[in-house]
Amino acid sequence: MYRIYVYDGNYIALLSLILELIKRNIKPDNIKMDDYEASLFDEVINLQVDLDMDILKKMKKSFGSYAINAMYYVYLSEEDNKELLLYYFFLNALKYHKDITFRRDLKCVSEVLRISQYVMHEGHRMKGFLRFKELENKVLYAEMEPTNDVIMLVSHHFQKRLKNEYFIIKDVKRRILSIYDKKKFVIVPENSFILDTDVLSDEEREMEELWKIFYRTIGIVERKNDRCRMNFMPKKYWKHMLEVEDEL
Amino acid sequence: MDMNLQEKLKILADSAKYDASCSSSGSKRSNKDGIGNAAESGICHSFASDGRCISLLKILLTNACIYDCKYCLNRKSNNIKRAMFTPEEVCQITINFYRRNYIEGLFLSSGIIKSPDYTMEQLIKTIELLRNKYHFNGYIHAKAIPGASDSLLKRLGSLVDRLSANVELPTENGLKLLAPNKESKKVNEIMNYVKNNQSRKYAPAGQSTQMIIGATKERDLDIMSKSSSLYDKYKLKRVFYSAYVPVNKDSMLPSLVRPPLTRENRLYQADWLLRFYNFKVSDLLNDDNPNFNILVDPKTDWALRHLKEFPKEINKCSYYDLLKIPGIGVKSAKRIITSRRNFTIHMEDLKRLGVVMKRAKYFILCDGKYFANSSVFKKNFIEANLVLEEKDMSIVNREQLRLF
Repeated sequence: MYRIYVYDGNYIALLSLILELIKRNIKPDNIKMDDYEASLFDEVINLQVDLDMDILKKMKKSFGSYAINAMYYVYLSEEDNKELLLYYFFLNALKYHKDITFRRDLKCVSEVLRISQYVMHEGHRMKGFLRFKELENKVLYAEMEPTNDVIMLVSHHFQKRLKNEYFIIKDVKRRILSIYDKKKFVIVPENSFILDTDVLSDEEREMEELWKIFYRTIGIVERKNDRCRMNFMPKKYWKHMLEVEDEL
Repeated sequence: MDMNLQEKLKILADSAKYDASCSSSGSKRSNKDGIGNAAESGICHSFASDGRCISLLKILLTNACIYDCKYCLNRKSNNIKRAMFTPEEVCQITINFYRRNYIEGLFLSSGIIKSPDYTMEQLIKTIELLRNKYHFNGYIHAKAIPGASDSLLKRLGSLVDRLSANVELPTENGLKLLAPNKESKKVNEIMNYVKNNQSRKYAPAGQSTQMIIGATKERDLDIMSKSSSLYDKYKLKRVFYSAYVPVNKDSMLPSLVRPPLTRENRLYQADWLLRFYNFKVSDLLNDDNPNFNILVDPKTDWALRHLKEFPKEINKCSYYDLLKIPGIGVKSAKRIITSRRNFTIHMEDLKRLGVVMKRAKYFILCDGKYFANSSVFKKNFIEANLVLEEKDMSIVNREQLRLF
């Protein structure tokens, strides 16, 4: 049997569980969110753990902010065994403290750093590739389908940049919305908010057309390079980018 | 000449597209109760069909021009459609694009109308409107017009994140030949002014410049020497190299089939070596060897000519020696330094540290070991393998190679 420890999806809950497992000297076969599909050989264990609300502060002091940021990015990733990876990283961080991020000879460290880079990079990309439409009521609305769960990273960015606008960002795959009301943003399930995204503002089509004209004009024909373009802007993002969606 | 906005945008983006600079990094401008801020790292919002980043709305205020530079699409003697944006139109497009997250900001340049001072005033008027009426705090890169007065330079620089002037051609002779109305002295004056005034409030993202490559007969050595002196003298953030695209026919201009893209690429690689890898122009080029090797990158080329200094031991050699190894960059060199304080690095760790092994393996020892039998440590063998490697890397390169 495989001993699979489950948590409710919350990051603090995951960290609290990992710490508890380490304290009790338990080596889990895996750690999963409680809605995962258990196989025949899985023994699902729901350990009751108190949430340690100070855990991030304590970790930051002991492991350093670079390490705890990297851990958070791994949590946002779609990596299959990310929870187990974080368990091993945590275990080693208790041994190496702030030197943990220099220990790339350990597989769990090099993997955490690799995955966190990937998530951070996608977050950064979405800050550029996201496209808002202006709805009739002046609300800005965007849909995206990132591989990783970057809605939080992206929302923080637009909260600063567009602080005097209302905006809504939808993660199509995860069925969640980030809603910003000129003060703060909240992330809610898609079905908790009724949204009519079909009625656009008067100017919207005109602006979209101008942008497409600009996009087509700015490329230098003599330098055409599709491979280079695709390296920088992978096709998986094109569906929600008006200037290239026609080329799909 | 009643022209609609779409037509204007098409003309004025088309005539701005040959300027290579599109970076939006280096400014921390924050949102003071308006719209927008600058991201210090810079953000690319899209990539054009030529693979270049689109970060800024890159336009000219007007493509009308009193100058007649041979290489330029907008020269006076060209019979093309001319257009001019009103300041209000530029603001409308910028704000609307920015709100929809199409762009990171504005890149505004202009043809010269009436006089340099008059042209600068139009640029200032437009950007003032954008900053003060529309409260736009996003990134702005403006072109300074050579010959404009210091007081105008002062005003423009305090409105924008980056202010730049293009040297256009690597030598004075080239400029005289192709841009008879431009004087390098005036471009230098601008760069000097910006250098002396640059601060958190004045062009916080610094200045850059651009050179056209392949329109005149300069050697790579001339170009790199020019870049190096520009970096030293004016503290430029970047020199951009723009492979010459033949937009005009002129007896003074070469008739190229394709822009010299591989050459442009080599210049960028060498530029990086100057700025971040502690190389000097004299390490890379000299009068006997005045042009870059088209077959391999400048660092590999250097390493092959200095094979006596290799292989270097990863666990022992200095940071600067690490930087000289092909396949090792600034990031991986730093990682090697911090890692080897904590453990002995083995061959299998290197990939995880970000080292490009297919290039580096010929030049390194790791914990005393070479990647293969040491009999392969010969110039001809290594060069042949690396040339094959490079050929695989890019279709563009392959097409270019066929020409030689």
